[in-house]
Amino acid sequence: MATQHSRAAARLMISPAVLLLLAWMIVPLAMTLYFSTLRYNLLMPGANPFVGWENYHYFLTDPAFTTALVNTLLLVGGVLVITVVGGILLGLLLDQPFWGQGIVRILVIAPFFVMPTVSALVWKNMFMNPVNGLFAYLFKAVGLQPFDFLAQAPLASIILIVSWQWLPFATLILLTALQSLDSEQLEAAEMDGAGFFSKFFFIMLPHLARAITVVILIQTIFLLSIFAEILVTTNGGPGLASTNLTYLVYAQSLLQFDVGLGSAGGIVAVILANIVAIFLMRMIGKNLDA
Amino acid sequence: MARAVSTQRKALVTVVAWVIGIVIFFPILWTILTSFKTEAEAIASPPSFLFFDWTTENYGEVQARSDYFRHFWNSVIISVGSTVLGLIIAVPAAWAMAFVPGKRTKDVLMWMLSTKMLPPVGVLIPIYLLFRDTGLLDTRIGLVGVLTLINLPIIVWMLYTYFKEIPGEILEACRMDGAMLKEEILYILTPMAVPGIASTLLLNVILAWNEAFWTLNLTAAKAAPLTAFIASYSSPEGLFYAKLSAASTMAIAPILILGWFSQKQLVRGLTFGAVK
Amino acid sequence: MGNITLSKVTKSFGDVQVIPPLDLDIREGEFVVFVGPSGCGKSTLLRLIAGLEDVTSGEIRIDDRNATELPPAKRGLAMVFQSYALYPHMSVRKNIAFPLRMAGLDKAEQDRKVEAAAKVLNLTDYLDRRPGQLSGGQRQRVAIGRAIVREPAAFLFDEPLSNLDAALRVGMRLEISELHERLKTTMIYVTHDQVEAMTMADKIVVLRAGNIEQVGSPLELYHKPRNLFVAGFIGSPKMNLISGAEAAKHDAKHIGIRPEHLKASKESGVWKGRVGVSEHLGSDTFIHVHDTGLAVGEEDMVTVRCDGEMDARHGDTIWLTPDMERLHRFDDKGLRIT
Repeated sequence: MATQHSRAAARLMISPAVLLLLAWMIVPLAMTLYFSTLRYNLLMPGANPFVGWENYHYFLTDPAFTTALVNTLLLVGGVLVITVVGGILLGLLLDQPFWGQGIVRILVIAPFFVMPTVSALVWKNMFMNPVNGLFAYLFKAVGLQPFDFLAQAPLASIILIVSWQWLPFATLILLTALQSLDSEQLEAAEMDGAGFFSKFFFIMLPHLARAITVVILIQTIFLLSIFAEILVTTNGGPGLASTNLTYLVYAQSLLQFDVGLGSAGGIVAVILANIVAIFLMRMIGKNLDA
Repeated sequence: MARAVSTQRKALVTVVAWVIGIVIFFPILWTILTSFKTEAEAIASPPSFLFFDWTTENYGEVQARSDYFRHFWNSVIISVGSTVLGLIIAVPAAWAMAFVPGKRTKDVLMWMLSTKMLPPVGVLIPIYLLFRDTGLLDTRIGLVGVLTLINLPIIVWMLYTYFKEIPGEILEACRMDGAMLKEEILYILTPMAVPGIASTLLLNVILAWNEAFWTLNLTAAKAAPLTAFIASYSSPEGLFYAKLSAASTMAIAPILILGWFSQKQLVRGLTFGAVK
Repeated sequence: MGNITLSKVTKSFGDVQVIPPLDLDIREGEFVVFVGPSGCGKSTLLRLIAGLEDVTSGEIRIDDRNATELPPAKRGLAMVFQSYALYPHMSVRKNIAFPLRMAGLDKAEQDRKVEAAAKVLNLTDYLDRRPGQLSGGQRQRVAIGRAIVREPAAFLFDEPLSNLDAALRVGMRLEISELHERLKTTMIYVTHDQVEAMTMADKIVVLRAGNIEQVGSPLELYHKPRNLFVAGFIGSPKMNLISGAEAAKHDAKHIGIRPEHLKASKESGVWKGRVGVSEHLGSDTFIHVHDTGLAVGEEDMVTVRCDGEMDARHGDTIWLTPDMERLHRFDDKGLRIT
């Protein structure tokens, strides 16, 4: 159907989107790259001399970087484990026939639509607060000392909050994938004498493999950039206990006004995200042909 | 698959599923309930679940104290504005890629996706400085621009997957029937594409509404949408549970309702069509 | 009207030439069928005529007008697609009226023509339904209705029956043939099914890899296949093709004999073999004969058509006698020896 004429028109129609995204990607990234080589602090106006790798050296050797990197990995890893395992179990459950399926589905999906600042605040104050929170009440009710979640286990608490937000996403995608499983395949397996666990490991899990990969990759992209939840609950603290890379760069550039150092951190974050992105693109690229 | 499931088993699944569903939904439910309590009841121990004096005064106070409606309006303008602008740019692009695919179409699509992978901190500083120097900081226009760009790849992809599903033969049929490009777009393509465009609109309004990196970093008082409005409640002096709950309920209610309508689109949009 | 002439038409996708230079003349009122195995370029050829693909070189003339550069909308042709390509958001009435609306006819005229077409195609009761509410056969009729209302110079059919079940297919085949008898408009019909080609065509164009292997009436193709490919493609069950010593006896590289031109006997004959599977159709019985000692390709099997009453058991010995008058001979290039 493609004729010469329509090709020219097509190029014209694609170009605004391409040019805008190109500008959006290249201009700020080039600026970040440039700033990262300068000694540039907004609180110290004047010349911004070129310092080469100094900012990178400073950023990468700062113990805060190592802490933030470890926290980032723990946060991403923890949330992924909880949401993928939870998502598979919930998906299997919701795929069964039961009364009120539609309503339960709506209940389970709801947290995804709660804005990050709201969920962080609600969890922080109404559940995890050591004096008035619901958890504190429950602890006291069974005779335990109330636990100050965000002070004593800040990262784990944030993992819990973020997992609550992303569990619906994983569940929804895995449920969709489960529903696309040909029931004749399961019936054939039953005819061959497979019980529930054999069906799960030999038929369902392989069928879900792609959806699981997609969940992991998409969530990783978003989880690497977790920001609002930390800002609202702990401000990265106590100390650096809940600071991830995104928050560290934010703190250095917009709280300490060190543009050069923040930019170097930004570039490091971009490189890390790209490593993940390459895997994701391969996945989705393959799917384009299908 | 019509197969008999024993009632007993179904009842068991029903109980388990409902319990889990309610546990997951509980924080939202609790927030909504607390928003109707007085401040004293909100922190009462033991907490009262349903048997308290229902009041709606918190809602009035939230509006009076921090002008909820202005922030609500900011959220509406920013999320709808960025989505509509994104659609205007994306519809022609997705149309061209779906119906006149070239050798590089796939590469262009993948490249667009790759811009979505760019972590926002990587470009936070230049954008912040550019906004500061051009007076875009704390303006709705500035945020509309940024959110348009960060959601553009998702919009293009969603539309692309929807347009791909319109069979090429139908477009060829209308050309054989005497339709030129204008009629093709007007009578065939638009009516068939409208449901897909509507779904895309819905999901992207939700994503933009809940976006909480750029909205927090690029706004102060004037253009702050609900994400930033709620964040202002995190300071200790603003710690009134009932009012916090009322504000939260108002911030999430509109999108919660839209969200329930857009479950399917969510899967499709956020997985870039890799899971259907 | 409805003369279509292709001269030196070629089509390449990138570096791959799918249609080498090709000439074809289609006369007014003819029912022409393009037939060939999948991937032979028959659909591409149809789409070139329709204008849905650009020709790489060469010229297409429709009614003595150069149409090579015309967009599909301006060629005055109508097409029925394999998937029917009905507009899902329009009622049957609006679907059929769409080409008329595009041609700018007034509402009353549109209605009149739609009603007339609906009556012919037994669609009157379904005019206000959506395509999604119709059966396959009804959708097919709507697609045909949409094609006939605009009174095109020629109809193009792209495998229109392949999505229908076997019983409906036979019925629709007859309806399309009748339509052609009544309208006397040129029709070009693409199919991979040689039975459809044989039963419907005035003229069959057999294609392989973009090349025209033979053009002729169904009976010409049946009686005088120009080469081995056409011989094997036309006719059902397929012609038995024999090479080796038996072919040499007839001064040929290959000989061919159709199953219906072999006589089977339990007592005597020219070739001896063993009965394999027998397919009983009632009127006829097709017997697959093995171990004939003839060089008949890999499966070593000769098919013979015999009387429906023929009683042959698996493993029985059977004798075959070819009708020498109906024996086809081919040379080492696979071409027919006359």
